[in-house]
Amino acid sequence: MFNKNIETIKRFQNSHLKAKSRIMFSHNGALMLAVILFSVILPGGSHARSARGEQTQQSGESILRKVDQNLSSKNRIFESSMIIHGRRSDRTVTSRSWSEGDKKSFSEYLSPAAEAGTKMLKLEGQLWIYTPSADRTIQISGHMLRQSVMGSDLSYEDMMDDRKLTDIYDSRVVSKDTLQGRDVLILELTARVTDVAYHRQKMWIDAERFVPLRQEMYAKSGQLLKRMELKDVERIQGRWFPKTMIYKDMLKEGKGTEFRMTKIQFDQQIPAHIFTKASLR
Amino acid sequence: MKKFLLKGILHDRGRSLLPVIVVATGAMLTVLLYSWLTGVMGESLEMSSNFMTGDVKVTTRAYAADADQFPNDLAILDSDLLVEELRKEEPAVDWVSRIRFGALADFPDSAGETRGQGPVAGWAIDLFSEGSLEAQRFNLAASVVRGAMPDSPGECLISEDLASRFNVEPGEEFTLFGTTMEGGFSFTNFIVAGTVRFGSAGLDRGAVVIDLNDARNAFAMQGATGEILGYLPETYFDEEEAEAVKAKLNAGWAADTDEFAPVAQTLRDMPGMGDLLDYTKSISGFMIFIFVSAMTIVLWNGGLLGGLRRYTEFGVRIALGEDKGHIYRSLLWEALMIGTIGSVIGTTIGVVIATSLNIHGIDISGMMKNATMLMPSIVRPAVDSVIYYIGFIPGVFSMVLGNALAGAGIYKRETARLFNELEV
Amino acid sequence: MLTFILAFRNLMGSGKRTWLNVSVLSLAFVVIIFYNGLLEGWNVQARTDTMAWETGNGRLSHPLFDQFDPFTLADSHGKTDEGLLTLLGKDASPVLITQATAYPNGRLFNVLLKGIDTRQTLLSVPVRLMDSLASAGEGGVIPAVIGDRMAKAAKLKAGDMMVVRWRDANGTFDAREVMIAEVFRTNVPSVDVSQVWIPLEYLREMTSMYGEATYITLSKEGVAKLNGAADDKLPASGELYKGWRYEDEDALMHEIDTVIKAKKGSSTVISMLLLCIALLAIFDTQILSIFRRQKEIGTYIALGMTRLKVVGIFTIEGTIHSVLAIALGTLWGMPLLKWIQHTGIPMPSNTDQAGLAIADKIVPVYSAGMLLATVLLVVISSLVVSYIPARKISKMKPTEALKGKLV
Repeated sequence: MFNKNIETIKRFQNSHLKAKSRIMFSHNGALMLAVILFSVILPGGSHARSARGEQTQQSGESILRKVDQNLSSKNRIFESSMIIHGRRSDRTVTSRSWSEGDKKSFSEYLSPAAEAGTKMLKLEGQLWIYTPSADRTIQISGHMLRQSVMGSDLSYEDMMDDRKLTDIYDSRVVSKDTLQGRDVLILELTARVTDVAYHRQKMWIDAERFVPLRQEMYAKSGQLLKRMELKDVERIQGRWFPKTMIYKDMLKEGKGTEFRMTKIQFDQQIPAHIFTKASLR
Repeated sequence: MKKFLLKGILHDRGRSLLPVIVVATGAMLTVLLYSWLTGVMGESLEMSSNFMTGDVKVTTRAYAADADQFPNDLAILDSDLLVEELRKEEPAVDWVSRIRFGALADFPDSAGETRGQGPVAGWAIDLFSEGSLEAQRFNLAASVVRGAMPDSPGECLISEDLASRFNVEPGEEFTLFGTTMEGGFSFTNFIVAGTVRFGSAGLDRGAVVIDLNDARNAFAMQGATGEILGYLPETYFDEEEAEAVKAKLNAGWAADTDEFAPVAQTLRDMPGMGDLLDYTKSISGFMIFIFVSAMTIVLWNGGLLGGLRRYTEFGVRIALGEDKGHIYRSLLWEALMIGTIGSVIGTTIGVVIATSLNIHGIDISGMMKNATMLMPSIVRPAVDSVIYYIGFIPGVFSMVLGNALAGAGIYKRETARLFNELEV
Repeated sequence: MLTFILAFRNLMGSGKRTWLNVSVLSLAFVVIIFYNGLLEGWNVQARTDTMAWETGNGRLSHPLFDQFDPFTLADSHGKTDEGLLTLLGKDASPVLITQATAYPNGRLFNVLLKGIDTRQTLLSVPVRLMDSLASAGEGGVIPAVIGDRMAKAAKLKAGDMMVVRWRDANGTFDAREVMIAEVFRTNVPSVDVSQVWIPLEYLREMTSMYGEATYITLSKEGVAKLNGAADDKLPASGELYKGWRYEDEDALMHEIDTVIKAKKGSSTVISMLLLCIALLAIFDTQILSIFRRQKEIGTYIALGMTRLKVVGIFTIEGTIHSVLAIALGTLWGMPLLKWIQHTGIPMPSNTDQAGLAIADKIVPVYSAGMLLATVLLVVISSLVVSYIPARKISKMKPTEALKGKLV
């Protein structure tokens, strides 16, 4: 019976460890995801605008540059809603975000009521969250950053990765196809550096508008990990922009998470104080 | 004859008192041994039951499938109603709601910014309701190292090691950063009422105990709960009864095919517990077998001695012309009566002692330094149906057997030699 | 001395009855030893199992490793000292740990991926099948072994495949299929629950942590070897040794030892109750013999023996029971207990769960201290129990005693 006691204690420990690793996990997906995804997938940064080279022999890189040109802006302000398909119910979270380059972003949650007023600031590789309910500014620090964000496959760290795709990946056009009724070029991106989350990616890019319509992320082994579908491409301030994105973890069962931009503005005047900790309160 | 014998037993104390005392003592010891052993053996089960599983656990089916991840998004939504229903259905069982959660404890500096943070495993239990046994199940009051038990909403207990790692004093406020039932952020401030030591390094590194209502507010779980645990009145896990409760409840819910319909599970159904249960049962069964056998031999010996002791008496009776078979039968009847009387007395005393020890518990904290939460310092003998009859096995059976063997000598005796033998 | 001889002769004189009592007492004596041995065996088993499956007799951990904080795992790995490992050979087993996510049948489990050398013999985690699978399959599926608790929770059995996703040293996601080569049973949940064991070399390659480990488990011989080294001896527990934190057996066993200590109290009660059973036998016999031998007592007193002396004779008579019982118990008990120790006591194991069944048995351990304590306990308590009924003698009137009309 003694070793069974020990076993029981060990089991407590184990359940405890599990509880710890559950911290950032929920079956439902995440609030933060919207911000993260929009900053990771659709770089808001002022990327290189120089490549106006030959279009005939389109290299992967030049296509990515064009995507960058199309999507990027000095800054952007947007409102979005995120629909999280839970096992039980769906829920919608709306937020307003300001971002400038890749290094600064600020979001405020508008609904649901419980989360309204929660603000998040990402600044130079650091992340703070302010919550009116506790009236506290909490910094997500150290190894917490490496944990995945609420059951998603992105960690806080991913969210902090502000490098350009063209800096990280070698890309080449592998084939052409049609997707959502549009001609697309399929790009294969292979990491050039070692410290990236995904070793290989595949992007389906509208051959005319240079908007990504689908993106797949692969593990080093070639295993498909997740897929993003981008839809509802609209012309906004002279650029083509996908307003809806559906994100799905391919290893897990479930319907994924849907993001929708409800309002978006590029190249606005954003007061500098937005991107300071003072604006959290 | 039986009446006569009984009269003899009752009146001739010289003949019956000692055997009755011996049988009663033996029966009492057997009862105590059984209940103590069962209690000690059941302790780890009890610990699991108190901390994690309850005797019966009701969750949604979806929650049950992923229970080890504490999926509060799959919680029971109208749990208060369900608890009421359960109380009506199984009034003998103490039904309690609990929420298990993982969270980040964030300790602020004077400016309200993060000074330090660490992951914690959390229990939300009913701390404040009148008559709630929850704090007792966790042995909380005895485990407080600094500060005191929480006595109002918003107060909580955190593990001592966590507190000392971040220099947290009782009375300080910190923020619990977790996930609401729906998957949103949850930030709630709590005041550290006291620190506790759980005695398990893993838990001591980071655990927090908060009140159920606070957890419901914090995780947007109004009226909901992750788990409803049922505690049977017996101190130690009574599998039959638990299974009966489970079967009855599940039968009632069988028609509901929803994955969020409630489902009852017993302690046995929890991962690893089946093994533990079987293991415990077989070991205690084995030990009890040995003890009862030893007791049986002792009492059999007692019976044998009792028989031998009356050597003279039988000689006289044979000499007086009493039939040997009659003497033998009367001896056996007497043994049966003495055995029964002794067993009844012994069992009664044993049950009274075991029950009172069960209620009050034996504080062995003096024997163990560093009383811990996981290892309750109060040991309680088990009280179940077995204690009412186990004493009779050595008591009656061996008494009769011993006398039967001793008495067998009666047939060997020859009347002619009797007087010689008896030196009368 | 006379008292002893007299008492002994009296006992021998009553023949069968004495031997009956002695047998019963010897039974109790042996059972007490057996019971304590069983408990001790459990304690020892708890320690040895934990050491055999998890901790070894010592451990060199990466200084940042904290077994209770999975978040530290990303940083707590480092290159092992090849010279050290070569020196230790079979007496060291490096283990590398990475946090990972397993997806058995579309469900999600947070697990620890543990790399273990498939040629190691130090830890009981079964590696041989993995070894043969690893050398047979070239870069294909990753062979893995899991405990039956994990298997049950994830609904996996030997031969099943599942996808495991992890991040390498650089944070890059990778995912591969692992095949459950074997499901093992263990008493040590901490190597079972939420753990997936795979070959060390695979994990090193998968995580780009070539030549690295999270901790190095040491065998007893390994600890001795390092301690016997001329220059670099192992430091005190918790101190750094060649950049690794050393923990000795006591530190690794601290928690188990605490539990064992805490449990001692309640097991004492059981020994006591058991002893009571045996003493009841002596008590019974004493009362009977005093009752039957009143004439004898009367004679003694009439002959001028002091009452105290008579009480002494009877007390010693009773006590000699225990001495004889110990002798007898040793005679039959020792071979029996030795035999039980040899074979172990089989415990039931769930055979319905697929997997390698480890014979669950408990081997009693009889320590000299425990034996001595039991002997003393039996002798002293039987002395007390023999004395109590014998006390009556001092109240006897010799005349009545002679007539045999007393009690």
